[in-house]
Amino acid sequence: MERFVSAQIVLEATVAAAQDYTDLVVDHDPDDGDHVVPGELRRFLARLRLLHGVPFSYLVPDADLLPIESIRFFYIDRAWTDALVQGALSVGTITTADRAQLEAVYPKIRDDVDEAERTIRTPRGEERLQGAGGTITGFLMRSRVVSGWPNLHVRAYSRDVLDDDALTTAAEADPNRMKVLRLERLAPAVLLVLFDGVPAVIHIEEPRQGIQFGVRLNPADPPAQRHAKVKVRDNLTGDPVPPKETFTAGNSVDVPFRRGAPGVINLVELRKRLAAKAPNSGGALEANEYALQMLRFPYRQVFGDPDDLEGQKFFDLDKFKATISLTTWKATIAANVDKVKP
Amino acid sequence: MPKTGHFILHSNVLPKLTAGHYELVSEQSGTPFDVAPERTHVTVAAPRYVMPTDQILSTFPPANAEGAFGDRLPQIVLKRRTLPWERNPAEQLQPSTTPWLALVVVAEGEAQLSAATPVAQCITSGTTLLEATEDKDVEQGLYLAVTETVVKKIFPCQQDLELLVHVREVDINDTELANGDDDGWLAVVLANRLPVFDIANAKPVRYMACLVNVEGQLAALPPPEPPDDHFTFELAQDWTVLASIDPHVGPDPRVMGGIDIGNIALPAAGGILGAQPPGTMAAAQATSALSRSPIVGTALDGAATMKETPAAQQWVSATEKVAKVALDPDAKRLVRDTMASGFRYPIELFAAEKVYRFPVLAHWSFTTNEGATFETLMQDLDVGLLGTIPEPAADAPPAPPGPEVVQTGHIGLDHRTRRGDPVRAWYRGPLVPFPTDRDPAGDGRPRLAHSADQIRRVVPDGREDLSLAAAFEIGRLLGLSQLSVVSALLRFRGEQFGAGRVREILSKFTAFKLPELVDQRIDLGRFVALEVIGDLVKNPADMLGPRRPVADPGRELVVKGDLDAVIADGLGFDLEAVRKIGQEVGILAAVTQAQVPIANREGQVQLDQRAIAGLRGALSAELNNVLGVAAPNAGRRATVPGAPRAARDARDALDALIERAAARDDADQEDA
Repeated sequence: MERFVSAQIVLEATVAAAQDYTDLVVDHDPDDGDHVVPGELRRFLARLRLLHGVPFSYLVPDADLLPIESIRFFYIDRAWTDALVQGALSVGTITTADRAQLEAVYPKIRDDVDEAERTIRTPRGEERLQGAGGTITGFLMRSRVVSGWPNLHVRAYSRDVLDDDALTTAAEADPNRMKVLRLERLAPAVLLVLFDGVPAVIHIEEPRQGIQFGVRLNPADPPAQRHAKVKVRDNLTGDPVPPKETFTAGNSVDVPFRRGAPGVINLVELRKRLAAKAPNSGGALEANEYALQMLRFPYRQVFGDPDDLEGQKFFDLDKFKATISLTTWKATIAANVDKVKP
Repeated sequence: MPKTGHFILHSNVLPKLTAGHYELVSEQSGTPFDVAPERTHVTVAAPRYVMPTDQILSTFPPANAEGAFGDRLPQIVLKRRTLPWERNPAEQLQPSTTPWLALVVVAEGEAQLSAATPVAQCITSGTTLLEATEDKDVEQGLYLAVTETVVKKIFPCQQDLELLVHVREVDINDTELANGDDDGWLAVVLANRLPVFDIANAKPVRYMACLVNVEGQLAALPPPEPPDDHFTFELAQDWTVLASIDPHVGPDPRVMGGIDIGNIALPAAGGILGAQPPGTMAAAQATSALSRSPIVGTALDGAATMKETPAAQQWVSATEKVAKVALDPDAKRLVRDTMASGFRYPIELFAAEKVYRFPVLAHWSFTTNEGATFETLMQDLDVGLLGTIPEPAADAPPAPPGPEVVQTGHIGLDHRTRRGDPVRAWYRGPLVPFPTDRDPAGDGRPRLAHSADQIRRVVPDGREDLSLAAAFEIGRLLGLSQLSVVSALLRFRGEQFGAGRVREILSKFTAFKLPELVDQRIDLGRFVALEVIGDLVKNPADMLGPRRPVADPGRELVVKGDLDAVIADGLGFDLEAVRKIGQEVGILAAVTQAQVPIANREGQVQLDQRAIAGLRGALSAELNNVLGVAAPNAGRRATVPGAPRAARDARDALDALIERAAARDDADQEDA
């Protein structure tokens, strides 16, 4: 038993406390669960991990690394972001005891922040991720696309789950879809996106502002002779007529314009042309059928290995057609159940 | 109802009745007596001059947006599915599949949007509407003034109207499609014109989309014509020259003529190529006849295009202007007004041809600022990993050497050391071209650096790698830049380990076992206090010292001499006299009768001069004492005459009294 308090005793007590009592939880968060690090600090450090506030010249040290009209994919160097967090933690450590304590508790802080960085961006309707993440990847895009099309739609998949041009909303909820940890325009024409994991496929889509109608302008035309085309869709299913990639005489029509007017579509003529080409149109188009033909879905640019066609088989729910009526099926079931009963 | 993510398109949803005032007459027959017919009045209301804002669900392109909208048709989505068919544009009672609404897209300089005008004047003069005076939803509305040429060029044909409107049925829970609608049925009005980019001049074009009422003016719409397979962007009619007219010229000279409009050439009428129906030709001839006798100053017919259009620069800040006025308290009106700027040229005053007016129910403007398409831009992107530099093409001209980038993604940068030596150092940001190891030591236990210098590295080529040190410094500065973070850090360290530290220190000083700290809070101070009290109680003699006896023994009374004499002396009466009387009447009665001297008789005060002098001396000493504290110099002089000087610093009666009282208090407490 000691008689008086010396610096040695305090240092020993501090180290012992930091080593033995790091499990003492201080932050009870109803949403986040219990953590060693208090919520505000945890979120600040996690935002730091996602490079919030880091000057851009530290991310891209030279403009040649991100030229105009380019997209650059990357992995996040965890050692770098850890050093960033350590720098923030070093604030206010003055005495040896402070540092001893920080050293003892640092593994806990790191685990907590690993977990928190996956919950910083939680859009409404997206479930919170539990546990710590692994590798973080992402891309920087510097392009007129970013400034001209605000609210780009970015998704990443750990497997190539569907056709590049599949028209379905099921892909939104696919289990292989990876969480976007950060999606931010750093400058009018620079977009930074971080993914939770290493994606196999990345989709970048035009922003979806409701349903749109339009044509495909030919960008190669001279200004005085601009042309446009519309792809023909099947009048019953709404599916575009193959081939999907190219415009052929069979699957598209030239858009007729009003003579002498800038960009005004001659609807009557366009309706005639579409009616002549569209399957199952019956030779005439109603207003709704016309709208169906003019539907323009957002363009989707897919980044991934073009040879990787592994793709899990994907069934469109709307393609399912009942072939047996419910009453018949019930009767069949009932008959089978009767057979089994003793 | 369709599933989420799906929608159903309908051609139209016709109401049973068009808008207007109706009289419902019910008659009863076959009764033996006459029954008077019942007459009820019914009003079917529908917007006519203004679209209520709660009926507009969304617009595309978004209002005041800038973007590449060139290959998309503008549209407006209305909440009530029957809205486009609630009036018959041919001015008949029965509903018609031809909608009365059309979305017209005009570029800046092509048409004029009016200020608020009485609704009777919002329509081309000579047009008659059903119930024009009774059926109006507002008193004042806006109208779009367009010349006949522009109408013929950009307005939809009568046959187009039907195709441009449809009804969409969506799942109301689908946030993207339904967008907060109440029943999932939406009426969509499309435009017939692509808001294309001015590729030839590489100039953004500002467009305004107007939802117009075409009631009663179907005849003004252009007839179908043979199509072209291509188009060129140019304004249907360029009235932006009007912006160069002196704005201070009043309206009177403008109407009466005589303004010097200088060398400005106003746009010519006509312009639609190809065959024109005879009626249009006649109108065109009439127009040209008009233009030969100018109504405004100089000749109106100048087909030459303008080289310099100062107003064309307005697009530069148009979007910013709108964003700015949105902050104003009167924003609702100002935003609409500012969005119309650039569409306010007084075309009606200057146009030589017929000018039509169409009531505008809703309008918004947007800018097409990009000629390229999303698809081509995306496909032309240069794809690569960050930290790599694209190889220059073989035929590329020799370029200045790029940055010093190596395969690991490190970049060589100039570095000035603390001693001032100019050297080169390696730096690599957090974004690297390949997966990296988080803990290079590989023992699984994270290493913690306390200062940036700890993680400076020297790589085999002899240069320093400052990547992690730079990261550390940035993190430190970012942490320091927020006071709340600094205080949170300090609080965290204090609170998280305070209890543990106290326990560890206490454990060195206490003989008993301290409790383990677990999840629930333990009050260590209370625990230690209870333990100590328990120990104290168990062996008080060791811990506190021997016990004090309950009561003190009394003091021994010492009497010197005869007791009776001492008492008599003390009371001041004559002992001998009392004894003598006592022999006759008994000692008790004798004592009763004895005369005891009393200091003061009732009603008279005997002043003892010596006592007064003593009291006065004490008072003076106390006064001097007080004054000496309050005013050290003054106090010396204020002495009471006759008071003994020695008494000043002497202890006075009050001190003695206080001491006695304190001593008594202590004694009381000891007894208790």
